[in-house]
Amino acid sequence: MNPRKDLITINSLSDEDIHTILQSTSAMKDIFTKSVKKVPALKGKSVLTLFYEPSTRTRSSFEVAAHRLSADVTTFTVSTSSVVKGESVHDTIDTLMSMKMDYIIVRHKNSGIPAVIARHCKAAVINAGDGSHAHPSQAFLDAFTIKEKYGEVAGRRVVIIGDILHSRVARSTSTILRRLGAEVAYMGPGPLVPPQQHTGIPRFTNWNQIFEWKPDVIYLLRVQNERIDTPFFPSADYHAAFGVTEERLRRIDDLNLSIMHPGPVNRGVEICDAAMNYRNCLINNQVENGIAARMSILYHLTPQTQSHD
Amino acid sequence: MTNTYITNATWALTGEKIDLRMGHGDEPVSIYRNGIALPGINQVTPAGEMQVPAGARTIDATGKILMPALFDLHTTISIDGHSKRECIYRAGQAANRGGVWGMLVMPSSGFIFDNTATLDSFDEAVSQRSFATMVPAGCITEGMKGEQQAPYNTLAARGVTILSDSGNMPASLLMLHRAMKYAAEMDLTFAIRGDVPCLSRNTYMHPSSTSYILGLHGTPPCAEEIGIETIIRLAKDAGVSLHVQTVSTAEGVEIIRRAKAAGMKGLTAEVALHHLLYTHEDVGDYNTTFKTTPPLRERTDCEALLAGVKDGTIDCIVTDHTPCLPFAKKQDFVSAPQGMVGLDTFLPALYTHLVKPGKLNWADVVRACSSAPVKIVNPYDREEDVPVVAPLLLFAPEEQQVVTCESLCCGTTNNPMLNSTLYGGVTLPINR
Repeated sequence: MNPRKDLITINSLSDEDIHTILQSTSAMKDIFTKSVKKVPALKGKSVLTLFYEPSTRTRSSFEVAAHRLSADVTTFTVSTSSVVKGESVHDTIDTLMSMKMDYIIVRHKNSGIPAVIARHCKAAVINAGDGSHAHPSQAFLDAFTIKEKYGEVAGRRVVIIGDILHSRVARSTSTILRRLGAEVAYMGPGPLVPPQQHTGIPRFTNWNQIFEWKPDVIYLLRVQNERIDTPFFPSADYHAAFGVTEERLRRIDDLNLSIMHPGPVNRGVEICDAAMNYRNCLINNQVENGIAARMSILYHLTPQTQSHD
Repeated sequence: MTNTYITNATWALTGEKIDLRMGHGDEPVSIYRNGIALPGINQVTPAGEMQVPAGARTIDATGKILMPALFDLHTTISIDGHSKRECIYRAGQAANRGGVWGMLVMPSSGFIFDNTATLDSFDEAVSQRSFATMVPAGCITEGMKGEQQAPYNTLAARGVTILSDSGNMPASLLMLHRAMKYAAEMDLTFAIRGDVPCLSRNTYMHPSSTSYILGLHGTPPCAEEIGIETIIRLAKDAGVSLHVQTVSTAEGVEIIRRAKAAGMKGLTAEVALHHLLYTHEDVGDYNTTFKTTPPLRERTDCEALLAGVKDGTIDCIVTDHTPCLPFAKKQDFVSAPQGMVGLDTFLPALYTHLVKPGKLNWADVVRACSSAPVKIVNPYDREEDVPVVAPLLLFAPEEQQVVTCESLCCGTTNNPMLNSTLYGGVTLPINR
C-alpha cells in the first residue's frame, strides 16, 4: 500500500485504506484493556492540535490517542494566538512547520482549510472537522461502532436525522457507511436536508417514512445553532417533529434499533432523557471507539518529515 | 485573386484569401458587395490595381481574418499588489493580447469613480500607460457604499455614460429607484447584476452535488432572478436605460427575453464568457479559480445563456476580468476572493470554445463582443471631439498557444484556461 500523508476526506481514501484503518482500530482498542494503556508506536513524534473552532470531545480524543501512542502533543490555542490578530492560515502553518511538527490535527469553520494546509506542509494533516465539509475520524469511529455492534457494516440501514445541510458528520459518515455496503437515508427539517439529486441519498421528511424503511440505526445530529444566522425552521417544532420522543423510543425499543449521536447532545431537542439510557444507545461506545479509531488513523499516516535513517 | 487593402497610406494588407468578418452575416463579405465602411480602410482593390504607397508597410494576411477588435463591457482593474499605473498597463497589454481594444472599467476599491479627481487621474494614467481604451463606469453610490447617490450630473459632464457599483445591487430599492429617476434625465445607463443580497449572503457556489460534497453554501438561482426582475421593473418605472450584468441562470435569460418582447426600451444584458463554458463541476476539489460571482451553474444554464446570445436576448459577452493576487486565490475556497481573468485570452477562447465547435459564428462574436458593447458605452474622444470607433485586428485561426503563467500579461494567474491550448493568434493593431 502506498504510504498516505494526510486524512482529509473519506472520498480520498482507497478501500484498502478504509479496511486497514478499521482493522487496526480493533487492535488499538485491545490496548485499552491492558494495565499499561500505551504503546511506543509514535515515540519521539510531535503531534500538534490546531483547533480554530471550539471542541472538547474531538480534541481530547485526539490528544488521548496521541498520548497512548507515546507521541508528544502540543496544543495550539487559537484564541490566544496571533490568528486573532489577523494572521493568515499559511503564515501560521509556516511558523508551526518551523517547529518541525510531524502531525497536525486541524479543525476550522471554513470548508477546505485542511486541504490547503496539507498542500502547504510536510506534516501529516488530519482533518478534525472543516466547516460543513468532512469529519473523517468521526466516520471511522461510527463505522467501527456499527461493525462492532452488528459484525458487519454491509447490509445495515442507517438513517441520519437532523441538520444535514451544515453537517460534516452526515457527509463523512454516510460516505464511509455506503463505501462499506450500508444503506443510508437522511431525514430532517426541509431546508436542512439537501435534495436527493445533490446527495444521492434518499430523503425522508417524517418518522413514519423512517419506520417503514426499517432502519437498523437511528443516527441523530445536533442542530448547529452556531452555524445558523437566519432561522431555518421554527425551533419549537423540533423535538416533536424530528426528535426521539419517549413514544418513538418505545417503538425503537420494540424494533430493537440502535441510537447513535456524534455529541454533544442537546437533551430535550433531538433526544429525550430516557433515550440516553436506552439499552441500544451506542453514544458512549462511540466516544470510546473514537480514541481507538484516532490512534489507528495516526498510526496509518506517514508524514513526509520522516527521514529514512 | 490577391486582394490588397490599403489604409492611411501607412500599411497595406495583402493575401490570397483574407476573411472579412464584420458582423453582418457569417459569410465572408467584401467591401464591394455590401458597401460596408471599414473603419480605417480607405480602399480595397484587387492586387496590382493599386500601388502600395511609398513607405507603406506590407502585411501578409493570407489565411487570416480581418475583423473589428473587441470591446469588453466588464473589466475590473484590481490593485493586485502593484501600483495603479502598473495595473492599468498590465490590463491594457492583456487586452491587446486578447483582441480587446477598449473596455468599460468597473469602479473598484482602487478606482472609486464617484468624483472628477479620480476620473482625471485615471484618464491620465490610461493615456500614459495603456495600450487600450479604458472607459470608466461611474459609481451608482458614493464610495460604492449603497447609501447616497454619486453626483451623476458631474460624472455625466465628465463623459461618464454608464453607472455601476461594480455589479452590486444597492440594498435600498428606494434609494435605487430615486437614483434611476434622477439619472433618467441625463441619458445614463445603469449597469447592475441581478441579486437579492440577503438571499446570497454567505454563499460560495451554485447549490448542487458539488456544493453538497464540498460543504459550501449555495447561492440560490432565485436570488439572481428576483434581482433581475426587480431592477427591470425599477428601470422601466423610472424610464432609465438598464444593462443587466453577468446573467448566469436560464430563468434570468427568460425574464430578460420577456421584458424585451414586451417592448421595454433601453434594456440590454451581458453574459460572462465563463458562464457559457463552465459549470459547478469545474469547482472540483475547491479550485478557487472557479469561484465566481454569480457562481458557475448547470450545463442547462450554459445552454440557455448561449441561446440567449444567439437570439439577441443577451447583447454582449464580457470577460468579467477580475485579477486576484495569487496568494489570495491560494487560500481556502471560502476565504479566497471571487473572479477570473479573461482579457489575455478573450478572442482565442471565444474562437476555440464557441466558434470552432460551431456554437457561435463570427457574426455573433462581432456583434456580442464588439458592436453591441460599443453601442452601449458609446465611447467618445473628448480631445478629438469624435466618437471612438473600433480598430481592426488580424486573427490567425491556425495558430496555437498554450496558456502559461508566463504568457499571461495581466499579472495574475486566475485564468481558467491556464495550461490549456487555445487556437488563434491576435495582431492588434494590425500593423503591430
